[in-house]
Amino acid sequence: MSVLAQQIVLGLLIGGLYGLAAAGLSLVFGVLKVLDVAHGELIMLGGYGAFWLFALLGWDPFASLLVVIPGSLLLGAVLYAVLFGFVVRAGEEARIKNSLLVGFGLALALHALAVRLWTADDRSITTSYGGAVLTVGDLSIPVIRLLSLLVALALIVSLHLLLARWRWGKAIRATAEDWQAALLTGIDVRRAYLLAFAIGTALAGAAGTLVSVGYSISPSMGLEWTLKALIVVVLAGLGSMLGTFVAGLFLGVAEALSAAAFGGPYREVVGLVIFVVVLVLRPRGLFGR
Amino acid sequence: MLEIRGLDAAYGDARVLSGVTLSVGPGEIVALLGPNGAGKSTLLGCIAGLVRPRAGTIRWDGEDLATVGPHLIVERGLATVPEGRRLFGTMTVEDNLELGAFSPRARAARGSSLERVFALFPDLQARRRQIVRALSGGQQQMVAVGRALMASPRLLMLDEPSLGLAPRLVRAILDALVEINRAGVAIFLVEQNVRAALTLAHRAYILEGGRIVGEGGGAALLRDPHVRRAYLGPLAVRE
Amino acid sequence: MSLRIAASERAWTLAILAGFAALAPLPLLVRRDDVLNFVLLVLLSITMAQSWNIIAGYAGQVNLGHAAFFGLGALTARTLWIGGAPVVLAMAAGALVATAFALLIGAAAFRLRGAYFAIGTLALGEILRTTVGNVLPEISTLPAATIGAYRLSQRYYLALALAALSVIAVAALAGSRLGLGMQAIREDEGAAEASGVAALSLKLRALALSTGLAGAAGGLFAYYHISYYPSHPFAPHWTFEALLMTFIGGVGTLQGPVLGAVLYVFLKEYLTVRWVDFHLLIFGVLFIAIVLIFPGGLVQAAEGARRRLTRRPGRTT
Repeated sequence: MSVLAQQIVLGLLIGGLYGLAAAGLSLVFGVLKVLDVAHGELIMLGGYGAFWLFALLGWDPFASLLVVIPGSLLLGAVLYAVLFGFVVRAGEEARIKNSLLVGFGLALALHALAVRLWTADDRSITTSYGGAVLTVGDLSIPVIRLLSLLVALALIVSLHLLLARWRWGKAIRATAEDWQAALLTGIDVRRAYLLAFAIGTALAGAAGTLVSVGYSISPSMGLEWTLKALIVVVLAGLGSMLGTFVAGLFLGVAEALSAAAFGGPYREVVGLVIFVVVLVLRPRGLFGR
Repeated sequence: MLEIRGLDAAYGDARVLSGVTLSVGPGEIVALLGPNGAGKSTLLGCIAGLVRPRAGTIRWDGEDLATVGPHLIVERGLATVPEGRRLFGTMTVEDNLELGAFSPRARAARGSSLERVFALFPDLQARRRQIVRALSGGQQQMVAVGRALMASPRLLMLDEPSLGLAPRLVRAILDALVEINRAGVAIFLVEQNVRAALTLAHRAYILEGGRIVGEGGGAALLRDPHVRRAYLGPLAVRE
Repeated sequence: MSLRIAASERAWTLAILAGFAALAPLPLLVRRDDVLNFVLLVLLSITMAQSWNIIAGYAGQVNLGHAAFFGLGALTARTLWIGGAPVVLAMAAGALVATAFALLIGAAAFRLRGAYFAIGTLALGEILRTTVGNVLPEISTLPAATIGAYRLSQRYYLALALAALSVIAVAALAGSRLGLGMQAIREDEGAAEASGVAALSLKLRALALSTGLAGAAGGLFAYYHISYYPSHPFAPHWTFEALLMTFIGGVGTLQGPVLGAVLYVFLKEYLTVRWVDFHLLIFGVLFIAIVLIFPGGLVQAAEGARRRLTRRPGRTT
């Protein structure tokens, strides 16, 4: 029983990161109507950003968020300007297909670049407090993962407030709902796209940083994380960032339970099966309005 | 104020507008009449910057709107109430109105605009924190008109504002338009309810098959035999 | 106009098949295994690219789970062949299993349109890869006796035959009613259905043909490699490489995937000597440029250049 409870706790801890990873993808998909399959590679870059700051400058990974997030924001703006800004000019159908292909090319290029810069090995950041464990009853909770979960939650709540309160946050939501109507109210829709993409990339960067602390990163992690984010987006639907976070927790727990039931190697399969089933049952309803 | 000359528009190979020429002066109420598919919504789309014309010019205070980014057209004082309202359904009434005043010039006047909208539609003030999707059709139409007014426009364009509304609500919306016009805002109105539109309008254009086929004062068109036959039905002819 | 396209397609078919014929005596002329291995890799790539081209290029369904069918073919053929079945039969069985599986999941998968089909099939491929990796974690190595009897030239001829088969299949498809129906679906599925094209049935047939070839190619892989992890042929890079080669050459054309495969394998081999995976950086960037600027790939780019060259004299006179 306590083994199971321990698994669930670990599932919740990783699930928070799934939620954070998915929030960026959900924002980009919901607003730009493009499917950026390089989202996992953007997460990877965030992870290596923190890794570099730690290895070269000795920065604490949580402190490095202060650099990684603005850096990712800038990277997102550049990627929008040179790539996705062209993709959004196409009509809805061609837009999503082209974005898939452009994202795929980007993923390949970033992966190859990461292998060159950081080799193909797994890396992780080991801090002085990395081994600390919080014991609650029978449960042992790795402190660093708990911290990551709390940071992820704080970021999601900030994002939620940003979209609910900030003038441009509302403009982003309006654009997501009906870009033509947004244009008619005087919103610069291209700028809303740019902001949404940059924020989405910043969230990916933050997620990558947190992954590099409690878990490990490698140049080939992109596809796996893109899939995790997609699964969560499919589960949560678009629109609510808090809902996305909860769906991330759900996926983490579902993986932990299936690992407990069928053995560790199957933890990846359960999410994918849920994904395919939900997708086939609601082929359009998921992403569409 | 608004001058349109020789406007052509098409979707792919299908020509929708051919050589449309019309104008709206300051403070005027101008109605645009015509059967479904005549190109009325496309014409409004061209003016608002959503549809790119094939040929012709649209001038606003002498400036060619083709050179103005679509989101800046609102800033120039041209606001649109699109067909089907196109509100941001998951947001509150207040958020929708606030987004109407998104452009810098409108934002400066946000407070007084809001008061004006609430004076015009007192219903909305009580419901300002409600989600738009939960409102009735009439209330939603009020939000749509209110959202456009928040832009402090000098010309308000409306596409079928009475569509799908009960007669009492149609009356309320049209009365509001007269009120808005009295405050000096010009109105360009696309309307199915031809009798009401002509009663309201100073002038009107008739668009058929993408061409302007008639033009005149509201009262004169009400007596025009073609208009009566085509738009006011057999009862009107017998009258 | 359509006659001219058919004529140019016939010319390309003949040219490619002539190229294959010229490669046929290679094992007799060249004793170097590295050359044969390289050409074999090109041929296998052509088969994979061409098989992907059928479903994605002609029928317009971006299948990102193509590796699953390659993997199923490899798994089936390897098991039967090591079990004693003649290799050609084992490969045919691999193709059959891949097609059967494709038809089994096809009706559900085709409920998804456009990008949703793409991510759905991507997930499906990953499910299969993970499951095979879990069930068969041990590396699969040929028995010593088989290794002793290993002849590279036999693999080479099979690869040549398979590549030729894939080109002939696409050539036959391109001009046929079936192929035209598929292209109608690719352009506008709704309009195609409205004008009487049975979209689901055609898409299933495209999928069956495409996955059958991929399954056979998997069989060849199983026959060719001495040892590999059973989950390896299920890895997504088999799909991604086929996609890259097809797009860069020219998606939905006969010659595009062949040109793309040749270019891809050459560049990959040349660059890998100095920098592992560097070809992916170049191809990633090239691919993005193709998608944004030349959606028709090298074939379209060449066509455009030729048209400009042939038109210029006419303009000056």
